[in-house]
Amino acid sequence: MHTTATRIAVAAILVLAGCGDGRGPGPAPDEAVVVIGAIADVQSWNPFLSESQFTDWLLQVVYPKLAIEQTDYRDHPPSFEPALASEWSWSEDGLELTLVLQPDARWSDGIPITADDVVFSLEVAGSEDIGWYAADVAASLTHVEAVDEHTVRVRFSRRDPYAFMRVNDTPIVPAHAWGDVPVSTWYDVDWSDRVIAGGPFRMVRHVPRQEIVLEPNPGYWRPDHPRLDRVVFRIVPSKTALLNQLLAGGIDFMYGIPPTDARLVAESPDLDLVSFPDRSYTHVVWNLGYGPLEDVRVRRALAMAVDRQALIAAVYRGDAELSSGPVLSTMWAFNDELEPPPYDPEAAKRLLAEAGWIDADGDGVREREGNELRLELLAPSESEDRQDIARMVATDLERVGVRAEPRFQEWGTVVARLESRDFEAVVNRWVEPTRVELREVWHSAAPGAPTLNYAGYANPSVDRLIEEMERLPDLEAQRELVDRVQELIVEDQPYLFLVETRKLAALSTRIRDADVNDASPFFNLDEWWVSTAP
Amino acid sequence: MGVDRTVTRQILRRLAMLVPTVWLVATLTFVVVQAVPGSYADAIDHPRMTPAMRDAVRTRWGLDRPVHEQYALWLRAIATGDLGTSYVTRRPVSETLARALPPTLLLAGTALALDLLLGVLLAVAAARRPYGRVDRLLTVLGLGLYGLPSFWVAGLAVLVFAVGLGWFPASHMYSIGADRLAAGHRFVDLLHHLVLPACCLGVVGAAGTARYLRASLLDLRDARFVTGLRARGIPERRITWLHTLRPALAPVVTLLGLSLPVLVGGSVVIESIFSWPGMGNVLLTAAQARDVPVIMAITVLGATAVVVGNLVADVAYAIVDPRAREAE
Repeated sequence: MHTTATRIAVAAILVLAGCGDGRGPGPAPDEAVVVIGAIADVQSWNPFLSESQFTDWLLQVVYPKLAIEQTDYRDHPPSFEPALASEWSWSEDGLELTLVLQPDARWSDGIPITADDVVFSLEVAGSEDIGWYAADVAASLTHVEAVDEHTVRVRFSRRDPYAFMRVNDTPIVPAHAWGDVPVSTWYDVDWSDRVIAGGPFRMVRHVPRQEIVLEPNPGYWRPDHPRLDRVVFRIVPSKTALLNQLLAGGIDFMYGIPPTDARLVAESPDLDLVSFPDRSYTHVVWNLGYGPLEDVRVRRALAMAVDRQALIAAVYRGDAELSSGPVLSTMWAFNDELEPPPYDPEAAKRLLAEAGWIDADGDGVREREGNELRLELLAPSESEDRQDIARMVATDLERVGVRAEPRFQEWGTVVARLESRDFEAVVNRWVEPTRVELREVWHSAAPGAPTLNYAGYANPSVDRLIEEMERLPDLEAQRELVDRVQELIVEDQPYLFLVETRKLAALSTRIRDADVNDASPFFNLDEWWVSTAP
Repeated sequence: MGVDRTVTRQILRRLAMLVPTVWLVATLTFVVVQAVPGSYADAIDHPRMTPAMRDAVRTRWGLDRPVHEQYALWLRAIATGDLGTSYVTRRPVSETLARALPPTLLLAGTALALDLLLGVLLAVAAARRPYGRVDRLLTVLGLGLYGLPSFWVAGLAVLVFAVGLGWFPASHMYSIGADRLAAGHRFVDLLHHLVLPACCLGVVGAAGTARYLRASLLDLRDARFVTGLRARGIPERRITWLHTLRPALAPVVTLLGLSLPVLVGGSVVIESIFSWPGMGNVLLTAAQARDVPVIMAITVLGATAVVVGNLVADVAYAIVDPRAREAE
């Protein structure tokens, strides 16, 4: 009896197994399709309601931007290439910006993209009902008007070297379709029904938690672009599963390969591994209100005790740079004459002794006035590399007589503890914008004011320099002040600056002309094409 | 007749306990979720989030209110059947769950059927000659499989059958481009995607089912009615399938009843490994993002399923094994 059942079951499984090569029906052979693996789903199809970076990146190929910020921030403040705005000019006093739009640009429903869309987008960007993360664009605007169908004039209250960058951060959304939805109700609207693309791609299908399918927007202004027929985002909630599918050939592109898996990708003949600086630095933020850490000698000693080169070799397989100060070494504004504390455990021990921390009882931990030199070293449990860093830093500190206890908690908990300053030391990471903005993290905020200055750093000279810097309309003039701020912060060591990390991405070798960079993995998705050559 | 009344009373008593039990579980979950420092606003991992924006998010969702107020609001909403709005998608939670339930039912239902079918076959095969070669082999394999963590089994299955042999897809419910297939082909595509996750859930389950069933089959081997049947010259196979299997199934029925929560709650591990868009997948992402309304809704649903599952198990137990009725 059961042998019959077994036979049927085996037959059924064999039939199903024969249904394909494990990848299903797939695209027609003459179609240029790229499959991108994504760890998360799109949060909202309205770019102003996004709180996720993946959503930002994805919607940047659906909703147009006025210009494309280039990744040349190493050499000078970033430059821009025309996008929806084919040209722009500034008035003599530097307070008025005139933008001329592409005459042929159309929304995916065939309606032309006009100055009204730009005016509408800049207006909603600053709305308090929305609370968009780049809403500060509105603060400096005094007037936005549509001069004619394709010309927009924007007036600013003061000269700001980043004015264009701020305006350009604003995605352009369809006024004709979204204008009648009161902004106060935007959070209640199902935007997946209202996607009207103006960028290179339009959304043709979105199955939550499964896939997103994009096809070319016929109204895109660049002739013969995009060059792909279809882009499919497959949503896979586990990084391991994503990597498996990448290696099996089920997906063509994956962003954010863990450094430990880089070798697997590099060894695959069908994949290219791309590595680029991710514009972030990982550091230990000290709570300067925690007794032992109030003393700059202790902070310098801790910095000298940590072998950052060994850390880069072990945690990042050598694929990372040393971080020395608050401005990334890849930025035009980096002060390359900084003198960060060298790795010198013996000097660290002497400095700690000088500060009064001595291991009198011989238990391996220094003490002063009966208190042991110990601290909790917190790291987010979601981040493997930061946990490894916490362990390595703790071991290095142990060698100079400091007991650091690594503890791993959820990211949300870590943030809550940082904000309430209920911590001693946290392995944290800042992702830096391409503009030099030092106020949020380094200016001593008024007590109780929301701030990213988790360390509680307060140096009146730094405060003054930051305020002075912000009053200067020109980045070259700011340069000297930025240099000085970096020197002061490196002297004070409110952070243990560790590493500037890199991001890894894997691409199928059949994808051509992809420029995957720190601005977005889909930076030039409209230029990607696939080679049919084997 | 009297027996039926006992069963009915049992059912009614269990049903009366449903609401307080679910309330207790949900309240405990609420307390645990709130006891962890930080909230959805803190868990947002966007490089441009500032403390002021996190404050705005807290205000928008009422996360800045005292916990007892948040609890009262949640309780009032849930009492009227309002599951709330997801912080992440800003869509009604009911909409998310309504979309996630069918895939979970399909996957868990298939797995359960496989569990039962395979479990019975293996148990009968093992019990035919206790401590014989087949039995010992099945014991070793079964215990080994039952003891392995499911993420490991699933990972291995993907590596062998999807990555290595390429027989089955490694994830998702449908292939790329399946939306353009005819309904019949689309269904086959779905079955094709169902095989690996359903087997990972079902085969491991079957190993457990077979262990229990084998034990109860062996218990009945020397029962007086079995000896009587044997004396009448009825073949062993007929005795097993027609006479001992039903009473032996009693403990298995309890096991199956207890697996009802997985049926509606989904398997977090299997669904996330196979990118299956079900309840387990939803729960995992909600927990990572501290999307409390979604976590609470799934908890309430899961707790209800546990209570109902227990009830179903008891009733079914009473049906397969008359002794359970008399015990009342």
